[in-house]
Parts: sequence; structure tokens; C-alpha cells
Amino acid sequence: MLRRVSLTALVAVVAGLAVVASAVARPVSATAAAASCKTVQIGMLAPITGAAGSIGSDQLHWAQFYFTQWNKVRGHVKIKLVQGDTQLDPSKASTVAQSFASNKSIMGVIGPAGSDEVQAVAPILRKGGLAFASGSATRVSLTNGSQRGYFFRDVPNDGVQGPTAANYMFSQLGVKSGSNVMVVDDQESYSTGLADIVGQNLSGKGVHVDRESISQKDTDFSSLIAKVTSSTKVVYLPFQLASQAQLFAQQLKAQGKSAVAFGSDGTFDSSKFNVSGSYISFFAPDVTTIPADASVVAQFQKQYPGATSPFGAPNYVLAQMYANAVTKACKDHKITRAELRKDFAKVSLGKTILGTPVRFTANGDLAGAKFHIFKIVNGKYQTVQ
Amino acid sequence: MNWNLFVTEIVAGVTHGSVYALIALGYSMVYGILKLLNFAHGDIYMVGSFIGFGLITVFGGSEALNVNIVLLLFLMFFCAMLGGGLLGVMIERFAYRRLRNAPRIAPLITALGVSFFLENAAQLVLGAQFQSYNSFGWKNGELWIRGFTLPAGVHVGIAQVIVVAGTVILMVGLTLFVQRTQTGKAMRATSFDREAAAMMGIDVDRVIVVTFFIGSALAGAAGVFNGIAYQQVWPYMGFQAGLFAFIAAVVGGIGNLPGSVLGGLVIGLAQSFATGYISSTFESAVVFAILIVVLIVRPSGLLGRAAVQKV
Repeated sequence: MLRRVSLTALVAVVAGLAVVASAVARPVSATAAAASCKTVQIGMLAPITGAAGSIGSDQLHWAQFYFTQWNKVRGHVKIKLVQGDTQLDPSKASTVAQSFASNKSIMGVIGPAGSDEVQAVAPILRKGGLAFASGSATRVSLTNGSQRGYFFRDVPNDGVQGPTAANYMFSQLGVKSGSNVMVVDDQESYSTGLADIVGQNLSGKGVHVDRESISQKDTDFSSLIAKVTSSTKVVYLPFQLASQAQLFAQQLKAQGKSAVAFGSDGTFDSSKFNVSGSYISFFAPDVTTIPADASVVAQFQKQYPGATSPFGAPNYVLAQMYANAVTKACKDHKITRAELRKDFAKVSLGKTILGTPVRFTANGDLAGAKFHIFKIVNGKYQTVQ
Repeated sequence: MNWNLFVTEIVAGVTHGSVYALIALGYSMVYGILKLLNFAHGDIYMVGSFIGFGLITVFGGSEALNVNIVLLLFLMFFCAMLGGGLLGVMIERFAYRRLRNAPRIAPLITALGVSFFLENAAQLVLGAQFQSYNSFGWKNGELWIRGFTLPAGVHVGIAQVIVVAGTVILMVGLTLFVQRTQTGKAMRATSFDREAAAMMGIDVDRVIVVTFFIGSALAGAAGVFNGIAYQQVWPYMGFQAGLFAFIAAVVGGIGNLPGSVLGGLVIGLAQSFATGYISSTFESAVVFAILIVVLIVRPSGLLGRAAVQKV
């Protein structure tokens, strides 16, 4: 008898704990109650630690920098940035997204950084009614309409990157109808997709495209480079690992080939890919080279000394857009996630530190987006387009 | 016919095949003595490569080396071979020795465990990021600018010569050691029949330790060769290299030392010719196709001897 009572009590306790746990873990519904506008919280999903830690920290710093400036000037509505470290890992991003969705104080999210992460967190944040905006996820399919009204980005997608790279090769690097270009992917979805787009664009212009493939574990490209002929003008390397692009470009030079190595945004890291004479495309400009941004950059570097990369500035603009949307949503001194989401979608900035106006299309893409091209000179990236 | 492409593929294949051959020799030696597939062998190669990288860093880094290149190379090979050899001995002593008479699946699983342990430990201690020997930057790229040109106009850099010549020297040294020395004779006897060798007074434990030391030292050297020729080092580099070297050992005839070298060269050349003449996408497919064909036509490998089953 005593045993049965104990068993029943145990089951009751477990059931009770389960109910409490599910209540705690349940995301706030999309129609959550309004919150006060005294301090509005915005979550930030970024790879603050791990292999991409330098990128994530830069993204975090630029967003923090904007809100710090905002809070100094706009006393009536403070904005607090809540950090969430994803380590560029979709599963970790999902865990942090779950905690953001469950936190009633968080009204919107900046990030995540990677396209795989965006796909992983989308159902969670959408269920929580949160807007989320990335300053670096460029996969085309992310803005195919399935996340309309929830997901946004202020950087161009790969559908812009491919044609931009192909056009630049054609107009500036001596590629013309009949010449050869080698396009090499690293067998990952980002790389194969981008390689396909560039290959199709070049083929459409009458260029002979030699489509090749390597794995991310390969280190010897000499066999492949042997196929680069004297009429091969460019070798396009849309890799995810900058160090692999470096290796390829070094081996290209070692074999005495004159073809130019051309990397994509995945290889944008001047500490790892820095073979002089190579080119690289990237979704954001280098704000340190834009004269109009000089004072902003100087203030940023005063607050966060050290080097900054073009990965950071788009997050400053996203923070700026959230601040605009918060101001609008807080007119009645209360804010809801749904209100902020709707106002965020409508924000239009005529002038930004990116050097271009920023507003979103209906699907959340950046309107009038363009990619930027850099040339590597003495190991440093110089904007050429 | 494009002779430049043909000769370049031969140079690339022989260079890469040399690295495979050195790793495959270690696989073959251990298998010959213990009938153990030491899957941690590829990770000893990784450790050897990191030892070489550590020395480059100690001497100022690739762009600002403050030591003569010949001395640096000597130190790298010495330390990597010594470090790799000692690591191999430790693995044998602490992971495999107690399992010597256990069913064969036990040391096999243990070898996989040791492999994971080394990879994860390296990641924990050294970080997950790719590091580079950047031999293109040593003393303004001397290792790649200097060299000689083959008739088809193919430039062969000193770095590639070091890899191929170094492999030949180590291979000849190993052959002489196994054939001409007392310890080598003991190794051959142990390989032929471990129990009979023990009964004839051979210290089998010592032979096994020496075998692990030499095989692992060769893997350490292969790690440095790889760094010089292909630059990159990272904690998981041993997996793929170990896999292809294992295939090389099987293709050549596992347990047979010349067979391992032949297998390494066959795999290296197959990879480069597949890339050059078919497509880089099918490089691995061609290698595995060769493995399958060899296993069907000649199951004991190209130079392996068929085992005689006593009934």
C-alpha cells in the first residue's frame, strides 16, 4: 500500500515538474501582451566565441555601439542589447533562440550570422512572434517569401553576388567571350550554389567554364591547377574556408600560372586570404575607407580599439533600424513584438554608414542591393568597386 | 597531347604519393607484426605536422624566420620523428599491450578510440583553426622559387624535391634496417611467427616497441613533408590522410613494405590523373574504384602474398 502511494506521489511530482518546465520553456505567443517602453530589449544572435568569434564580436560591437550612442541621446526610450552566443552552430543558435522567444522582455532580434543558423532559428523565432534581421546571411532561399514579415537582412544575397563577380571578371579582368574561367566549389551547399550562379552567368556571355570541385579537407590542388591554361583568365573560388583559398592561390602562383584568384564572401578574411593580386567579393563595403563615415569609425574605434572588418557595420545599421522602429512603436508608451515587427519592416533609411539607402523588400531582402569587390594589395583589401 | 599537364600530374602524384607511402609504411609495419589496424596512425602524422609548425613559430614564424632553412628542416624532422615515435610507443604501451591476446575487435575499437582522443586533445590544446606552414613565405619563397625545370616546362620546387627525396631516403634506410640489422631480423621473425620467435629467444615486446617507434616516426616525418608541400595543419587532418594511406597499404599488400610504397604511389598518381584527365569531382571515386578492383582481382594486394590456410 505504502509503495503504491509512493509511486503515485512520484508520478504526481514528475507530472507537476513537467507542467512547470513546459510553462517556463514555452515561447511567448505571437500575440503577447504589451511591454513597457522604458527599456526595450533587443536580442542579438552572433558567433561571439568559437572559430568565427572575431566576426561575431565585431558584429556585436557595432550593434552595441549604436545602442550606446542612442541611449545617450534618447533618454525617454532606452534600448538594451541581450547577447546570445551561437558559435556559428545552428543547434546552439536554436537553443539561444528558444530562450529569446521565451523571454517576454525581448521584442526583436539581430542575427543570426549564418544562413544555416537562420534556417534553424526561423521556426522558433517566428512562433515567438519576433522579427529577426541578419547582417551577414546571404543564402538566396532565406527570402523566398516563407519568412515574410519576420526575417530581414540588410546585405545583398548570393543571387546578387554571383552576377556581380561575373560582370566584374568580364569588365575588368580581361575575361571575354571565348576565354576560359575555372570555377571550383568546395562541395558545400553555399559554395556549389554560388559556383553554379557564376558559371551560368559566364557561360551566358560565351565564356568557357571549367567547373571543378574540391573537398574542404583537400590541401593539394596542384593536379587541378595543372589544368589552368594560359588562356584561363580567372579561377573563381567560392569557398567557405579563407585558408583554402589562400592555399589555392599560393599553389597557383607556385606553378607559374597567370590566372587571377577570385574569392567570395566566405573567404573574406585578410589574416587568412592575402595573396596579392587576388580579388574578393563581399556583401558590405569597408566603412573605414568611406570618407563620410570617418567620425563614426573614429568613435567606434575609441569605444572598441583594434581592427574592425566589414562584417560589423551592417549590424550597426540594423540597430539603427530597430531604434527607428522602437520609436514608432512606442508612441503609446507600450510595445509588442507584432508592433515592432510591422514597424521594422517599414523602416527606410535614406543615408547609412554603408554608403547606400537601406529599406526592405516585401520578402525582407535589401532593396537595391549590390556587392562590393576588393583587390588584395600587399596583403590588404582595397575597395575597387 | 598536352605534355605539360601530363608531367605536372606525374609530379603532383609522386609528391602526394610519397606522403601516403610514408604513412602506409607505418600501417604495414604494425599490421605485419601485430595484425592490428592502428587507426590512430593518421593522428600521429597530425601530431608530427604540428610539431613542425611549432618549430616554425618558435623561430619567428614563416614570414620572418630567424634561422637557416636547412637547420630548421633538420630540427623539424628530428623533433617530429622523435615526437611521433615516442607517441607511438606510448600508445602501444598504454592502449594496445594489454589487449594483445584479446579478440581482434578489441584493439581495433581501441585504435579508433585513441584516434578520437588524439584529435579532440589536439583541438582542445591547439585550437580548431587551420594553421599554415606557409613555406611559400620562407626566406622570400626560396623553397618554391628554386628548383629545376623538367623537359615539358614543368617547374619542380625544392619543397617537392625534399618530399620525394626524403621519402626515398627514409624508405631505403628502413629497408636496410629491416634486412641488415639484428633488430630487423627479429622484426621479420616476429612478423612471420610471433610465438616461434619468442621461443627462439627474441624479445617480442622490444620488437613491437621498436616497430611502433619506427612506424610512428615515419608518420611524424610525413606530417612535416605534408606541411612543407601542402601548408595546412589542423587537428582532423589525420583522418583523410590516414584513410588514403590505409587504402595505399591495402592496395600494395598490407604487411609488405615495398607494397606500401607502391600502393602510396598508385593512389597518389590515381588522384592526380583523375583530377587532371577526368574531373576533380571523381578523384575519391577513382581511388576507391582501384581499391575495389584490386581486392577483387588480387585480394592480398599488388605485392602481397596470399596467406596459406593450414588444414
